[in-house]
Amino acid sequence: MTRRVTRRLVDLLVVFLGVTLIIYLMVFALPGDPIAALGGDRPLAPNVVAELRERYHLDEPVLQQYLRYLGGLLQGDLGTTFQGQSVADRMALRWPVTITLALTAWGIEVLLGVLLGLVAGLRAGAVSDRLVLAGTVVATSIPVFVLAVSAQLWLGVELAWFPVAGTGAGWPTAYLLPAAVIAVFGLASVARLMRGSVVDTLRTDFVRTLRAKGLRERQVVGVHVMRSSAIPVLTYLAIDLGYLLGGTVVVEGVFNLPGVGQLLFQAIRAHEGPTIVGVSTALILVFLLTNLLVDLLASVLDPRIRHE
Amino acid sequence: MNPRLRPLPVATALALTLALSACGSAGADDAAGDAGGGSISVAVTDPIQTIPGRQTVAYDLNMAVWSPLTWIDADGELTYVAAESIESDDATTWTVTLRDGWTFHDGTPVTAQSYVDSWNAVAYGPDAFENSGQLAGIAGYDDLNPAEGEPKTTEMSGLAVTDDLTFTVTLDGPDGQFPMQVSQAQTAMYPMPASALEDMDAYNAHPVGNGPFAVVGDYVENEPIETEAYADYQGTAPTVDAISFVPYADATTAYTDVQAGNIDVASVPAARLPQASGDFGERLHTFEAPGISFLGLPLWDERYEDVRVRQAISMAIDRETISDVVYGGLYTPATAFTPAVEAGTPEGICGEFCAYDPEAAKALLDEAGGFDGTIDIYFPGGIGLDELYKAIANQLRQNLGVEAVATPSADWAEFSENRTNGDIDGPFFSRWGALYPSQQNTLRSFFVENGGCPNCIPYYEDDVAELIAAADAEADPDAAGEAYAAVQERILEDFPAPPLFFETYSYVTSERVAELPTSAVGNPTFSAVVLAEGA
Repeated sequence: MTRRVTRRLVDLLVVFLGVTLIIYLMVFALPGDPIAALGGDRPLAPNVVAELRERYHLDEPVLQQYLRYLGGLLQGDLGTTFQGQSVADRMALRWPVTITLALTAWGIEVLLGVLLGLVAGLRAGAVSDRLVLAGTVVATSIPVFVLAVSAQLWLGVELAWFPVAGTGAGWPTAYLLPAAVIAVFGLASVARLMRGSVVDTLRTDFVRTLRAKGLRERQVVGVHVMRSSAIPVLTYLAIDLGYLLGGTVVVEGVFNLPGVGQLLFQAIRAHEGPTIVGVSTALILVFLLTNLLVDLLASVLDPRIRHE
Repeated sequence: MNPRLRPLPVATALALTLALSACGSAGADDAAGDAGGGSISVAVTDPIQTIPGRQTVAYDLNMAVWSPLTWIDADGELTYVAAESIESDDATTWTVTLRDGWTFHDGTPVTAQSYVDSWNAVAYGPDAFENSGQLAGIAGYDDLNPAEGEPKTTEMSGLAVTDDLTFTVTLDGPDGQFPMQVSQAQTAMYPMPASALEDMDAYNAHPVGNGPFAVVGDYVENEPIETEAYADYQGTAPTVDAISFVPYADATTAYTDVQAGNIDVASVPAARLPQASGDFGERLHTFEAPGISFLGLPLWDERYEDVRVRQAISMAIDRETISDVVYGGLYTPATAFTPAVEAGTPEGICGEFCAYDPEAAKALLDEAGGFDGTIDIYFPGGIGLDELYKAIANQLRQNLGVEAVATPSADWAEFSENRTNGDIDGPFFSRWGALYPSQQNTLRSFFVENGGCPNCIPYYEDDVAELIAAADAEADPDAAGEAYAAVQERILEDFPAPPLFFETYSYVTSERVAELPTSAVGNPTFSAVVLAEGA
């Protein structure tokens, strides 16, 4: 177990170095001078541009810039934006928003997805099963942008049940609607995975044995079927949490939630190397860590994996 | 960051009341009644840089927290705000006399020294303040911004304090437009208190100005900036007690939030212009702005060398229809080379060449020998310009019988680099929003090399530059207006690029707002907002 964790952590380091270098190179390859674009269509004076290029080392070769960035990183310095702010500070301001949003959405996925999947799986072929199936097909086929804007106009503007934008109302009010919107896709996937898994498990020998020895149905389903069906769903949920933390750009934009997705989007538009690398590296670490956690959890849930 | 930056005021000023009564705006008198009371919330782009020398998107905030030396109202009239007078005998050395008794929000007096110190600080090259270019006309600016190495001084030789309330400004050459250059949207000209000069970072977190509203608390990214009326303000008292500037990352979301009534004022993003009137009716406010757009032409490409080709392209564009379809009819077809709101602009000078006439256009193009190849229109992507340039390409294709396509760049940075380097072989996006409504600003930006908008219209003729300089030297505003108009006569001969639209800036308001006044820079004047009864 310890060896596996160590090996995974070494992998993390290699991935980290590779990813930061690749992203740095890609940012550098973007056409256009970010400093000249700082003032938009009212360009900054040429001497200001020259001074800023020098200040942010944009006049150096890309590898030198990258090494400078890594050097700073070793001293815990994530770099600065072209407006002189600390990238670490900006990320620290925004992570809580994204984490709150992602966890809220994730919670909705877990609760509703598992529940719907269970209901559908236990009554495979019944009306409720078909309804869930149809619902998930519809849900996965609506683009998140359309869903977000429609939900905003209908539930926010027309009915005024939820705030239209911003985090001013606090959790949960401000986060429920955007979280529900991003949860829809994952929720549908979880429900379908869970259904399939439950149907499979119900057909296994051990369930028949459990029933034959007179165990109450509630215990059969609640403990044994659930536990056994949970593994594929769990794997999906873990990957999805990583996705939720990084893939909420659209929803953060529409609902004006100042999270890291928005930060990343703005940084890409401004060609801000340090911010892009900082945010995406953090996202990649989250991804790798959640995957590591799932692997460990899976071996707790399933003895077969543990003893492999 | 939205590259279509606008000067977004909020403001001060004597002139406001004048502007209001001059317009005789209906409803202003019966609504709200008593001045003072109430607060409004305004959607803004998160500024990051809040202070006058550095901000590029915080015009709203700046015009609330600071007062300019001069103010230009919606009719183009110049009045004095923080200055009592600005005078010169030769248009080169200007004497600025300040009004007595003004204080910064920290209680310290606003003196001639405050202005001189602030301007020197903003112009100091190594600090690379974003707006330092606004001070480039002052003698000694070059000493603070040497081409090589560190500056040997920290002061511009052109600034001298006479007494507590008087200082003189010597310019590099005669410039009769100087009083315009210290008006509301030229934020680099605002004064800063002594404490600011010691610690600009702290000042950015807590800006202290000389204007009608003082910032409450500290600025935190993504958090609303709260301001309240400054009790000791010496100018015209604002009509509201407090303004809250709420940051939105997406202008469309801000628009939707005004619909829901959660915020009082937001500017209308390009994508919402066609529907804004339907959504908001009377609560859509459209202001004439000192912005103008052109269809830039690659004058380095020989296919565009013949003036008749350029005229034909201009005459093949149906500006009226495009304005109706793309901008909900809110933009005005351009008929001159500077926006109509700029004093002395010879409206209609463009004549037949700016009028839609497809037959004449085709005939003129044939006369010039036709056009070889494709007209490749290039514009910055991702900022809501796609509809406009596709419409123009369609009209050129239909009316001139030449293949025409419009291609966006990936983003602003890519576009600006290609344009600056001249790596474009077709018509391109070209626009300028002036920060002070003088023909000088627009003409300089487009037609003087290094005048502000690099390669916007790459037409730089020595005699045009000389004519502009001669107009600059005119001290009398009317004579200057005529002299700039004469520059446009000269430009018309070569017709370097088709003017497209005189721009307007549009805003939508919640039902709480009864009256949204504006000024010559095309933005709402929030300190003179009139709230609806009971709001």
